[in-house]
Amino acid sequence: MRWSFSAWTVLVFVFLYVPIAVLVAYSFNDSRLNIVWSGFTWKWYDQLWSNTPLMRALKNSLVIAGITTAASVVMGTASAWLLHRYRFRGAGILQTLIGVPMMMPEIIMGISLLVFFASISMKLGFTTVIIAHITFCFPFVMVAVQARLAGLDPALEEAALDLGATPLQAFRLVIVPCLRPAIVAGGLMAFTLSMDEVIVTYFTASPGSTTLPLRVFGMAKVGLNPMLNALSAVFIVATIAFVLFSDYLKKLSR
Amino acid sequence: MSGFDLPLFPGERRPGWVGWLLLAPLILWMAAFVVVPTAILAVYSFCQRDELGRVVFEFSFENYVRVLSPTYLWIFVRSIGYAALTTVICIVVGFPAAWCIARSSERWRSRLVVLLMIPFWTSFLIRTYAWIAILKGEGLLSGLLKYLGVISTPLEILYTPTAVVLGLVYAYLPFMILPIYSSAEKLDGALIEAAHDLGCGPLRVFSQVILPLVKPGLYAGVLMVFVPAIGMFAITDLMGGARVPMIGNVIQNQFFQARDWPFGAALGCVFTLLFVVAYALWQRRSQPIREVRT
Amino acid sequence: MKRLRLLVVTVLAAVFVSAASAAKKSKELNLFAWSEYFPQEVLDGFTEETGIKINYETYASSEEMLAKLIAGDGAYDLVQPSDYMAEVMIRNKMLRPLDLKQLPNRKNIEDQFLHMPHDPEGKFTVPFMIGTVGIVVNTDVVKEPVRGYKDLFQSKYKDRIVVVNDNREIVSWALVTLGLDQNDITPENLKKVRPLIAEWVKLIKVYDSDSPKTALLGGDVDLGVVWSGEAARLWEEDKKFAYILPEEGAHPFVDVMAIPAKAPHVDAAHLFLDYIMRAEVSKLISDEFPYMNPNAAARALLSEEQLANPASYPEGMDYMNVFRDIGRGAAAIDQLMTDLKSAQ
Repeated sequence: MRWSFSAWTVLVFVFLYVPIAVLVAYSFNDSRLNIVWSGFTWKWYDQLWSNTPLMRALKNSLVIAGITTAASVVMGTASAWLLHRYRFRGAGILQTLIGVPMMMPEIIMGISLLVFFASISMKLGFTTVIIAHITFCFPFVMVAVQARLAGLDPALEEAALDLGATPLQAFRLVIVPCLRPAIVAGGLMAFTLSMDEVIVTYFTASPGSTTLPLRVFGMAKVGLNPMLNALSAVFIVATIAFVLFSDYLKKLSR
Repeated sequence: MSGFDLPLFPGERRPGWVGWLLLAPLILWMAAFVVVPTAILAVYSFCQRDELGRVVFEFSFENYVRVLSPTYLWIFVRSIGYAALTTVICIVVGFPAAWCIARSSERWRSRLVVLLMIPFWTSFLIRTYAWIAILKGEGLLSGLLKYLGVISTPLEILYTPTAVVLGLVYAYLPFMILPIYSSAEKLDGALIEAAHDLGCGPLRVFSQVILPLVKPGLYAGVLMVFVPAIGMFAITDLMGGARVPMIGNVIQNQFFQARDWPFGAALGCVFTLLFVVAYALWQRRSQPIREVRT
Repeated sequence: MKRLRLLVVTVLAAVFVSAASAAKKSKELNLFAWSEYFPQEVLDGFTEETGIKINYETYASSEEMLAKLIAGDGAYDLVQPSDYMAEVMIRNKMLRPLDLKQLPNRKNIEDQFLHMPHDPEGKFTVPFMIGTVGIVVNTDVVKEPVRGYKDLFQSKYKDRIVVVNDNREIVSWALVTLGLDQNDITPENLKKVRPLIAEWVKLIKVYDSDSPKTALLGGDVDLGVVWSGEAARLWEEDKKFAYILPEEGAHPFVDVMAIPAKAPHVDAAHLFLDYIMRAEVSKLISDEFPYMNPNAAARALLSEEQLANPASYPEGMDYMNVFRDIGRGAAAIDQLMTDLKSAQ
């Protein structure tokens, strides 16, 4: 039984990585159009290093996603915990309100936020984009953490308090470690959502805060430049290398 | 607050001033960035439009009446159908994988979870075009199957509903796996062993022990896949050839091609309202039975 | 927890650094245009000459641009609407009149393009690139002649056709097929074209405004009605893709450059407009982007092969037959197409 589950998981990962393998392969394709194969070349990688706007867009995306993830993790965990621990009138309403951005079509959210920012004369830029991203990312963290909280033994916190911890200490040292897998899962989802978000970003960004997905979507019209494949390939390799490296560091510190 | 005695769950409290201090930023954030923008849009939905599509403040229910016409209702139903199918497939495919990751060793767990998400840090369009390269008539899959002698004419998957479902499942699978994983991770192996020791077959172990404990994660996964999938249209457009409109297309069109913001706002409000109501009802139902503290 | 705090601090620091560098707003130009319409060397050349930094934000359709402008964004110096969109923007006073004294290179533009229906005196806009919408045929697969929409939309080509995902375009083709005016969007006319489009919808396999060439190159379809730029690229890739202007009637579209009324950097905007109307610069744009160039001086610099591309420089085009703004008719078209597409 065990090994059949493992085999299934391997298949799932293969499924997830098949298009990745294809896109990396096409990053070496000599044709500008991503459809037909015409020969091996490194030229897209060369072009990539010198393409400042694309690099800038990538940097913007990473910064925005980083901040969004950090804030979403904090807000999502906090709201999940507060709603779990405290009972007050309007708790149900707050819970539902937080869920709204998950359920709203992105274009509705994008336009309504833009109209709102315009009406309070707030200039578009990094701040507005980050606010928008946080608003629809943190509910995902909250839902993930809540799912884990549902099975949490209430005796844990009580025991910590009985042993002399302040509520804050109990939270930090007992609850958070228990919630860690959910927090990590939520954080990963928030980062992914933020990195790939287009419509809401389109309406809340300024020319100086263009993100990578916005750039890419704009390029779709002219045919996606294989430079983007090269970029994705580099990104994937860098991330996997980072994961392996931090693994290695952990092993060393044992 | 004081006169109203809500029964408390063990471990629950009324918020003291610290509690309210912590809740305040959350409430303010929601008020500013969710309530107000939504209210603006709700107001728009009752308006008329000018030639640019901008709102003109003459109020009527016209837009809402139009939303309830057969064309749009049918489109809603179709979108829900695709999303439901996607969710079911994600559960079937994702559950075993989530379980496997949750039960694996600590080292592997964190690696696998990150590896799960990495493909989605590439651009959505690039990934989708990669799928197109694989699925198209003269594509990689077709070529492979022809080489193996399985088929003789080009495969016709791309631009059909099959391709759309494939694309949707691909996009949402991690969002089903991760919540199930985080719920299953804390499942004590001892419980399963105990069930085995008591003579339960694998099916009973699953339905009586595993499923109830993993249910919150499962529900979370459904929430994070089903609802967003209904509004998703980019995949239908790219992999389905945009032949059949989804509700997401229709709403988007109102703000762009059709220049009818009020109608778009009405569609959006009805859409959101539907799920908010369903979500609120489901929240109410899944509240555990209260035991009053003595 | 400590690691999280460190992460938050680092990330915030990064934000402040980038925000600070963006705050040096002295000489800047906010360009809001179609993607890839401006090759990097054109933009870099401008910055080198004038020292003005260009912030280039892109959109994938005129409608998207309009939506953002309407919802409240006044930060752009230059926008790139299509002809009918410029018409309605001028009428609603969203564009600023150009200071023609700052645009000496305007004389390079062929005269007829400075007097188009959307802006008869050329006071608000400068034409950028011109395209057409026409029929592309993969002549390796399709041997019979295809001269127009009637030849194209036949049941023998069922599921082998791609069209642009533009509801207005599709309706206009049906209108001209029935001999009606493409700009005459009335309830009666829409009723007349409805059965014809219903037939067409059954034959179309793919709707794609962004990259219809994908389906053609992939071999999933053999014919299509696409933008001329797409057809030009297909022809550059493989000469088997022929481009035909439909005999029932074809229309050009003009993408223009204009300055929004609330633009913050008006002088920089004029400098840039004049710069791109230089023959050499305009040629660079044409090299990247095979649409038709209204700049006669630039055309003189193009190669034989570029001028021979039938999709870029088609014969027999009436350049005044453009789309006009149809105002509220857009919603009626959307309703019609949604109904018909959904009925499958």
